[in-house]
Amino acid sequence: MKRRILFSMLAALMVIVTACSGGTGAGGATSGTNGEGKTDGTGNGSGGTGQEQVELRIMWWGDQGRADRTNQVLELFQKKYPNIKVQGEFAPSSGYFDKLNTQLASGTPADVFFLGGNVVDYANKGVLLELDPYVGSELDLTDMDESMVEYGTLGGKLLHISAGANARGILINTKLFEQAGIPVPQDGWSWDDYAGISKDISEKLGDGVYGTYNFTVDGMDIGLKQNGAQLYNMTEGKPGFTEEQALSWFKYWEATTAGGGVVTPELAVSNPPSDPSKSLIITGKVAMSLIPSNQFAAYQGLTEDPLTMVQLPRGPKGTGVVFESSQGLSGYAKTEHPKEVAMLINFFINDPEAAKVLGNDRGVPVTSKNREALQAEASDADRIVYDYTSRVSEATKTEPFAVSYNPPGFAEFSKLAETTVQEIGFGRKKVEQAVADFYNGTLQIFAKNQ
Amino acid sequence: MGVSRKTLAREQNQTAYLFLLPWLIGFFCLTAGPMLGSLYLSMTKYNLLSPPSWIGMDNYVQIITNDSTFTGSLWLTFKYVFISVPLRLAFALLVAMALNKGIRALGIYRTIYYIPSLLGGSVAIAIVWRQIFDGTGVVNKALAWIGIKGPSWIAHPDYIVYTIVTLSVWQFGSAMVIFLAGLKQIPADLYEASQVDGARKWNQFISITLPILTPVIFFNLIMSIIHSFQAFTPAFVIGDGRGGPLDATMFYTLYLYLKGFSFFDMGYASALAWIMLLIIGVLTAIIFITSKYWVFYGDNKDGR
Repeated sequence: MKRRILFSMLAALMVIVTACSGGTGAGGATSGTNGEGKTDGTGNGSGGTGQEQVELRIMWWGDQGRADRTNQVLELFQKKYPNIKVQGEFAPSSGYFDKLNTQLASGTPADVFFLGGNVVDYANKGVLLELDPYVGSELDLTDMDESMVEYGTLGGKLLHISAGANARGILINTKLFEQAGIPVPQDGWSWDDYAGISKDISEKLGDGVYGTYNFTVDGMDIGLKQNGAQLYNMTEGKPGFTEEQALSWFKYWEATTAGGGVVTPELAVSNPPSDPSKSLIITGKVAMSLIPSNQFAAYQGLTEDPLTMVQLPRGPKGTGVVFESSQGLSGYAKTEHPKEVAMLINFFINDPEAAKVLGNDRGVPVTSKNREALQAEASDADRIVYDYTSRVSEATKTEPFAVSYNPPGFAEFSKLAETTVQEIGFGRKKVEQAVADFYNGTLQIFAKNQ
Repeated sequence: MGVSRKTLAREQNQTAYLFLLPWLIGFFCLTAGPMLGSLYLSMTKYNLLSPPSWIGMDNYVQIITNDSTFTGSLWLTFKYVFISVPLRLAFALLVAMALNKGIRALGIYRTIYYIPSLLGGSVAIAIVWRQIFDGTGVVNKALAWIGIKGPSWIAHPDYIVYTIVTLSVWQFGSAMVIFLAGLKQIPADLYEASQVDGARKWNQFISITLPILTPVIFFNLIMSIIHSFQAFTPAFVIGDGRGGPLDATMFYTLYLYLKGFSFFDMGYASALAWIMLLIIGVLTAIIFITSKYWVFYGDNKDGR
């Protein structure tokens, strides 16, 4: 009797243990059938009109507005290719990459996902699908800007297709300039002008209004390029700047802050410039900030104050800004349906209907046909963006700058830079000490993530 | 007699194991495996996407000898635990005693005060907390009425941890319910007898209520400490999600999370996790060892 109970308990335990491990077994089985689906798909020819049902997942970051647009495009895609079902997922930008990393680690990422300048981190780790075999068939790049194709080619392989181009610039709330009686700045101004104007705005408009956000971190690569340096030298795999160069950039911001005119560190924490809906630009408390041009429409949509964009103040080598990829699409290296992935990416950049829906939300379209189509029916806000980006393109003809990717270990690097700015801002460290620590930390992060 | 007793004991054991089975299965299938996995990972360099490579104790050495963020986050977490746990327990006891006065509709109050415990760990409440303690939030508006200009509680590195402490104290509900049950167990005749002897309320509290409640306090203390060490959501949401400003919200769990999932260093994060397990284990052991000096179990003595 006792034995029987013991035995049955053991049996039960065994059944359940095998059921537990069966979870992975079942997973394997599913991927097996999917693998079959893939071979069938290839057999059915290039049109993607085969009977075999294929399911893809795609993931992006952004707000609800972007999600609505993207989902609409996915619907258009599914209408055109009824045999492909696409499941969209999105997350706010702050948590997006943590989510992506977790999914990649567990082998369950979306088949297609968006990446930004940190594409290098993912390319280095070999998780991105090589798209070269599909160019010319599923993926049509004939109409795409040469520089954008180059941007997505890493280590000789095409791993990333830009979904929009932008150029960073100074966002200006013109109403505050009007109130302060200061003329709106023009392209070609200097950093001394910038500091002076920021100070004037703060002084004239009084308590609680500031000239500019502190963009030491977001603008660091631009500041370095203006002095002939860069954040990271990809070809040689080492930092592209010296401690002195970093120090002079941090010192400029320290001095500008000391002169008045820069948002206090507390306010920058509670109203971070990276989030348009919390930005003090739209509440009329800050006159200037650094933004990527594709966010302009989002800012303008949140305020009645007329906004505009001006080029960055010039350094010794120019403005340091180029018209470059803002973000783009990559496939997962181990996707079951690489061909359909290429078709979906192709749809995003080439389909005229899709381009109309997407607009400039992720940047100006990267194919000339779609760009022209959008320009023809641009809104006022869009026109400011086109005007700005064409000025940047024009400027880079005489003053070219290399396109820059994020350095390796970018998440950790930007956290370190942010902390350094706060250490200086909250008076915890002298700027020299803070920058020395920052530089050391940067070297370690770059070395660790190569 | 002896034989049948033995059989009975064995049968009872079997029944117990049968009932324990679901937990055992859960433990061996879901908990033990990942724990062993993370023990292995903690001795590797693992960037999440490439296979891990063995580096022995390097992660532990690095953490202990050369990681200022580790020391900073450990110090912050200890500070948070040692401020928030006593405050929460004191508050819970206070409210429980107020509710134990025999007021009407006790059930309703008990439910209402318990609700924060259910909601408090959520992201939504953390966002509400952000609004309340913002530079222009409700708290500062109230302070402005009495002429105090409050700082931005959620943006200044010196204050933000206290904002998170208040959120933790506000979740006093579950401790309160347990205290309330404990208070109900205290025989009324003890109070009556001491009243006849002329004891004041305060003396009654010190000499009767607290000693008899010690087992309940002991339980609440352990649970609260373990729970507080693992606090993550409030730091993640009230702070900037990256431990900022100035690492003032860099709780141990958040640092672990960032290392593992944002900074591609899962081996290091696993080592951090094991160090945390060790710390919580040691702390719990200390409380258990000291408990025999301050926890009073009525049934261990000869009884009243």
